[in-house]
Amino acid sequence: MIWMAAVAVAVVSGLFSLIVSILLIANYVQVQAITPLDNPELLKLRQQLAATPDADANLVTQIRAMDLLTRKAFFTSQAHLKMGGYLLLGGVAALLAAWRTAARCKTRLPQPDVAPPRGSYWMSRARAGELVGFAGALWVVTALVAAFFTRLDFPGTGVSAPADSTQVAQAESAAAYPSWEVMQQNWPSFRGPGGYGVAHYTTAPMKWDAGTGKNIKWKTEAPLPGANSPVVWDNRLFLSGATESAREVFCFDTESGQLLWRRALDKLPGTPDKPPKVGDETGYAAPSMIAHGDCVCAIFANGDLVSYDFEGNLRWAKNLGVPDNHYGHSSSLLAYQNLLFVQYDQNKNGKLLALDLADGHEVWAINRQKISWASPICVNTSFGLELVVNSEKNVDAYDPLTGQPVWQLACLDGEVAPSPAFGGGMFFVANDNAIATAIRFGANEQTPKPEIAWQWDEALPDVSSPLGTGQHFYVATSRGQIVCLDSITGKVAWGQDYDNGFYASPVLVGDRIYAVDRRGTTYVFKTGPVYELIATSRLAEDVFATPAFMDGRIYVRTEKHLFCIANSNEP
Amino acid sequence: MKSRYFAAAALLLFVLAYEAKAQFRFPMPEFESGYKHPEMNTPLPARIPAAVDITVLFVALAVTAWAVLKSRSRSMVFLIAIFSLLYFGFYRKGCVCPVGSLQNVVNAIIDRSFGVPIIVMAFFLLPLVFAVYFGRVFCAAVCPLGAIQEMCAISPIQLSRPVEITLGLLPYAYLGLTVLSLATGTGFLICRYDPFIGFFRQGASFNMFLTGGVLLLMGIFVARPYCRFLCPYGVLLRWASLFSKWHASITPAECIQCRLCESSCPYGAIVVPTPDDRSVDRRTGARRLGLLLLLTPVIVGTTAWTGMTAHKLVARLHPTVRLAERVAAEEQGRFAETTIDTDAFHAGKQMPAELYADANAIKQQFKYASAWFGAFMGLVICGKLIRLSVIRKSSDYEADRGACLSCARCFAYCPVVGPISQSDLRQECLDKHAQS
Amino acid sequence: MSEKPKIGRRDFMRVAATVAAGGGAWAVARRGDEATVWQLDPAKCVQCGRCSTNCVLNPSAVKCVHSFQICGYCDLCGAYLQPGAKARDTGAENELCPVGAITRTYIEDPFYQYTIDEKLCVGCGKCVKGCNVFGNGSLYLQVKHDLCVGCNECLIARNCPAKAYERVPVRTAYLLKTRDNGVLVPKLNLGTRLDSGTGKQG
Repeated sequence: MIWMAAVAVAVVSGLFSLIVSILLIANYVQVQAITPLDNPELLKLRQQLAATPDADANLVTQIRAMDLLTRKAFFTSQAHLKMGGYLLLGGVAALLAAWRTAARCKTRLPQPDVAPPRGSYWMSRARAGELVGFAGALWVVTALVAAFFTRLDFPGTGVSAPADSTQVAQAESAAAYPSWEVMQQNWPSFRGPGGYGVAHYTTAPMKWDAGTGKNIKWKTEAPLPGANSPVVWDNRLFLSGATESAREVFCFDTESGQLLWRRALDKLPGTPDKPPKVGDETGYAAPSMIAHGDCVCAIFANGDLVSYDFEGNLRWAKNLGVPDNHYGHSSSLLAYQNLLFVQYDQNKNGKLLALDLADGHEVWAINRQKISWASPICVNTSFGLELVVNSEKNVDAYDPLTGQPVWQLACLDGEVAPSPAFGGGMFFVANDNAIATAIRFGANEQTPKPEIAWQWDEALPDVSSPLGTGQHFYVATSRGQIVCLDSITGKVAWGQDYDNGFYASPVLVGDRIYAVDRRGTTYVFKTGPVYELIATSRLAEDVFATPAFMDGRIYVRTEKHLFCIANSNEP
Repeated sequence: MKSRYFAAAALLLFVLAYEAKAQFRFPMPEFESGYKHPEMNTPLPARIPAAVDITVLFVALAVTAWAVLKSRSRSMVFLIAIFSLLYFGFYRKGCVCPVGSLQNVVNAIIDRSFGVPIIVMAFFLLPLVFAVYFGRVFCAAVCPLGAIQEMCAISPIQLSRPVEITLGLLPYAYLGLTVLSLATGTGFLICRYDPFIGFFRQGASFNMFLTGGVLLLMGIFVARPYCRFLCPYGVLLRWASLFSKWHASITPAECIQCRLCESSCPYGAIVVPTPDDRSVDRRTGARRLGLLLLLTPVIVGTTAWTGMTAHKLVARLHPTVRLAERVAAEEQGRFAETTIDTDAFHAGKQMPAELYADANAIKQQFKYASAWFGAFMGLVICGKLIRLSVIRKSSDYEADRGACLSCARCFAYCPVVGPISQSDLRQECLDKHAQS
Repeated sequence: MSEKPKIGRRDFMRVAATVAAGGGAWAVARRGDEATVWQLDPAKCVQCGRCSTNCVLNPSAVKCVHSFQICGYCDLCGAYLQPGAKARDTGAENELCPVGAITRTYIEDPFYQYTIDEKLCVGCGKCVKGCNVFGNGSLYLQVKHDLCVGCNECLIARNCPAKAYERVPVRTAYLLKTRDNGVLVPKLNLGTRLDSGTGKQG
């Protein structure tokens, strides 16, 4: 009697538990699909709404309905899970109790088992021994086989080695290219030799006026617009310019300003039909070129990279892939020995590349994680030559010839466009909406270990790169401030407000600094802890690019023109 | 997404940020309407004082010991098990439990800066102390994990001895892996893979719920699978119980070899009397044992070497090693996408070089820890084999001191009632025995 | 069957073993007298969303808390509104919180109060991310100890990519942000209640 009741209860509660379990599992699976957290449907609708300029009433209603649905479903399912849990516990408890009772009713008196066959006790023991031994052996074999096929893929010591290039080949090709000293005597890249804003020649004129023509040697038209800065090698000046449909490289004679040649880029394998969207101020030819011995290179916003010789003959050209860059690629090129450095940082799949100048093949490449609009600099430190780049979050230093990372410091933030400054063995990096950091290195170390010397967060640049002179660091901001900071202490030596903001980066010429504001007015002031303005000169045209400084010459690119400034009593 | 913020922020910031303090983008609002900030709600955790739990544990152990040894009542043991399930399981949500506490204690031995609260220490020691005196009374009715399985053990089957003994290697492996995991800083494996705690605290990952459910379903037929074939604390209890002063005995007085209890134990913990018909003679047996003893160092050496060789596989358990692998793979271009972990890593202060150095140091730790683990398993295997080769003559049906969970099921099978000498029952049983 | 000395020796060994094990374990392991709880450091948090999915409890014991003294009370709230929201209102198409746990109340021009309903919050961290990117960072995640069961090994802690979890004494259970110095202050927990009368989490 009890037995029958118990069995009945057991069956009922068993079925109940089974049903509740299935429902719970179904509930769990369902809530995974329509979770409000990352619902793909809802996301699609939201993206659609974001794409339209005005709020489409229909879309809004749809989103609201879907949002309400997913939220309701989410909370309902949570409540169901909880309730279901309790029900299941209750059901299982009832099942077990009933089953036990039923089993109890059916217990028989204990009976001795059939007597085991003779010798079975010993056989059982022997079998047990065999089985244990077998299990042990199996474990050993499995472990060894698994170990054979396992490799832990991270470097043993140090970091991942990039693609190798033998030392001999390097030295051979290097001999064909200009040395560091020769590079110093030209203006081969953005912000001068090495790219950190220090001019070799100290004879640049201090005052000029475009209105009267005083000290303006020549003025010529820049055929296509571009934010890139002029580069000069011997008596050749190079610019690039681009619009949505055209990309060109220009070569000017430095004496006369005559346009010697212009080359338009053809469509390359990988060149997209339309270039990616770029910011209005960035344009399609933001990165500056390099001039190196007998070749020049230029890169454009659509990933086209091209190299010509000084006569305009094409050496090689390739497309690096359309950069995933929401303002437009702006990192300028840099060259050293036989290598062309391209800081191709993007939102995803960013790289720092070193290409061979002879034919453009990749010598080494580093995968980079963060995007950047700053340009690389190459400096000679007490630890050797370093290629230093900025990106969101980090300043990284690499060996230029091998790409081996040398040091890294996480001290930046925001969307970084200013490039690093270098002076007195220290680096200085700054970005608007973030912070400025001075990086120093221990004097008695074998390898460079960066540490933060000091930080500063008041007037910060967002386009113009800071400048280091050894004793001080100078910052020019888009709001028109120039601040002089002591390198060692970080204390403000002086700060000045100017009428217009600065996009061009300040340049150190001897003991003077040249800063060109957006309206083309150049302020020349003395380096040092006391502010002393030497001269103010006007061009009356907008200037975004950093001027190039050669012996007794300044080359300034304005929005539409190219100026050469030289003292008029010079030949 | 950022560019849109940038546009909006630029406008606002141009006005505000110039004067704003460096830390906060937006200045403190000045309310004219007399509005006041609400306060934040920071509730304290509700904690039961340690003394209460320790007392309940002690009393439960003591009452179980009394129930098993003195009053020999299965129903009492079962009731205490229900109480433990409700108190230690559902009420205290299965944590602190003695099974997990062994990790905290071992970790404190390895890492001197790791502190162990008194309740964890008590939960670790009390069941062991009771085991040294009274046998595995903790397992009988006090452990909530055991209790929940006990509820499910409704129609248990008997496993064959060889299978049972071989599966009995697993708890040692689990214990070894737990200690290895602690030594290398990989985490608390017992807590992570506790199959039943999900039911107690009504929350766990889907996989753990599934595992727990499967184990309980299995447990209806193969009684207490976790206790017998997985529980690492059970290894310690087994060792303690081997030396117990008093232990649950099947018979209250003298065993009359009536064989009625043979299939009464769902856990295979009954030692049967040794038959006389040994096929192998003493000398061969002794030689075999001698050979086994000689081979032990070889076997232990082999397993230790195996452990060391397999250390790379085991090292993957550690999150730092996995992260280093992923970061390196992304740097070398083998993966195009980053993961949340690598994104967070690159957003942090550590350089990849440091990460690789850390991972290598951990890999070295795993080398030695795996070697020790291998040696331990080798010892366990040899120990089991030696134990199988050593014949300890027994003439009575008694509980295997190491394996018996003192559940008191077998008491009801024994016809001996109290001290007997010339009782009718004894005679009846002996007659029955002679017949079969 | 066994002589007295043997029993005596065994007994002695048992007692000795008990005392040795107990005493040894006691001495070796420094007694942590203070109860400890799990704590999330908002300074390290990267708002990956794992706090909501990895807690063994459902919903998670990690919730978003709001430091009102840091909040800018902005109309354009980076945590409340979706990036690129077309309008600054309470429409679902503009809300960032996927479960609608943030309530926006007008106070006075141009300030709005944002409060979090703990019953709805799942601890996904989207509002925290928004507030950090465009805001003062006044919203952040914390482990709520009336919900947390205090697992020996916290599953969220194990899977946190920024290693932001650690065990701290109960005294300093919560890391609270204040405006005084912008630095996170481990606050002495007094279990204070709101006095704003809204009945919602502050």
